[in-house]
Amino acid sequence: MWAGVRLQLVFYRQYPDSFLPLLTAPLYTVIFLMIVRHGGPADLSSYAVIAPVFIALWWFALFHGGLVVQTDRWSQTLELHVAAPTSFAAVVFGRILTVTLVGLVSFVEIWLVGRYLLDAPVKVRHPWLLTATLVATAFAMAATALLMSGLFVLARNAFAWTNSISFPCYVLGGILVPVALLPGWLQPVSKVVFLSWSADLLRASLAVESVPDAAFRIGMILLLAAASFAVAAGLLRRVLWRVRHSGELGLR
Amino acid sequence: MSALRIMRYSFLSGATDYLAIYTWRSWLGGWYLRVLSQVIFFALIGKLLRAEEQTWFLLVGNAVMLAAMESIFALNLVSWERDSGTLQLLAASPSSPVVVFASRGSYLIVDGLVSSLGALFVAGPLFHLPLPWPRILLVVPLTLLVGASAYCFGTFLAGLLIRSRGLNNLVVNVGIVVFMTLCGVNLPLAAYPRPVAFVTQFLPLTHGLVAIRSVLAGDLGAVLPQAGLEATVGLGPTVCSTRRCARAPLPGRPPSDVDGPGQIGADGYRSVTAVTA
Repeated sequence: MWAGVRLQLVFYRQYPDSFLPLLTAPLYTVIFLMIVRHGGPADLSSYAVIAPVFIALWWFALFHGGLVVQTDRWSQTLELHVAAPTSFAAVVFGRILTVTLVGLVSFVEIWLVGRYLLDAPVKVRHPWLLTATLVATAFAMAATALLMSGLFVLARNAFAWTNSISFPCYVLGGILVPVALLPGWLQPVSKVVFLSWSADLLRASLAVESVPDAAFRIGMILLLAAASFAVAAGLLRRVLWRVRHSGELGLR
Repeated sequence: MSALRIMRYSFLSGATDYLAIYTWRSWLGGWYLRVLSQVIFFALIGKLLRAEEQTWFLLVGNAVMLAAMESIFALNLVSWERDSGTLQLLAASPSSPVVVFASRGSYLIVDGLVSSLGALFVAGPLFHLPLPWPRILLVVPLTLLVGASAYCFGTFLAGLLIRSRGLNNLVVNVGIVVFMTLCGVNLPLAAYPRPVAFVTQFLPLTHGLVAIRSVLAGDLGAVLPQAGLEATVGLGPTVCSTRRCARAPLPGRPPSDVDGPGQIGADGYRSVTAVTA
């Protein structure tokens, strides 16, 4: 896993455009803050500042994390990587975890832009809750990205799907607009999207009121992350077994 | 070969490339679901603010934005050709690279139009947006105009960035979010500081979006002037691209210039069309 971490850091040095979300995240902060300020007297600045964090994290984890396998394929190292005696999933997860941790930098950046450049009245009221939620969210993002990686091994054009699932997940996860505003029939679906638990908790960590059931809600993020991780590891094992036996690894 | 024939074949080859990525099923269940969700995501902010007018404003702005967004992908055209090893062949062909590039990615305008209208006419009724018949039909050519104008802008930038391989993806993604920020997609132009509002007059999407909002509001007198401005904004980059290529045609350059440093397979990374959100 450590080898994966080092490899990903080298990759970042070679391709600085990988840090693209660090450029777009402040712009999203501007967009959302402008909308809520234009919308009326209700102060929804914390909503506007939280949403870009998820957008940036999603990009880092899903696009770069998910692309870990695809870049291996493009550089024709996928076969060598799979043939190596080390665990394929461990190296991939190490790379993805690095990507996700780098993605957490966006939180600091968005916070600085929102709070000090755009003068948004947001303050961290529950710092421990915020930290715990961010860590749990990063783990859940990495687990979801690992799942995407499995799909990348299986299907060459899976990249198109990565492009497609962002906004459906943002809506279902209530990263800006709480799930309570979605139609009733969609709300149960949101409960199995870890973003909905994360977004509620991050917003709560900026609110003055105490946060009920915080441990349970963080536990739900971790539970969903663990479920994703288990499915992803199983899928990777199964997919690799299949393509090894059919000899189709480089052809898919 | 006549220019029209080149354009036809270029369009068909580009569309065939796209059809290799999506079938109509995967397009509906993948890309269309994404763009519809994107429009719903922004419209829901209006609902959060309990402001129906703002909900509609956000819905229309973000639906039309899709036409511009897909057209700006044209900026990646040179990278795509380079990655598939066809850039040198196109550069070496006797036809004008402007004609080839302008037509090869023009399927993006069609795709953007379908995405945009598909999102508007599905999300609109969900949020009770009035779609007055028959003047709503004017939205179709106006959205096409927005897509074409943004496409011209995208191909112009693609020409400028032909030697800056690593910048394409960056410029596409930042460009899309800048358009979302500045072109009146989420806020009326009057709400911007005056210097910002002035700059937006020279960007694609701004005037086309005003024209579409005017159609919906029933202010038909404003439609034609705004459509004219949108077309002018789109034509400007096209003229610049044509002149630039006429001055320094691609086939005259050394192959290393066209292909750029770092071949696919050697550096193991190729530009991809991804949107940061």
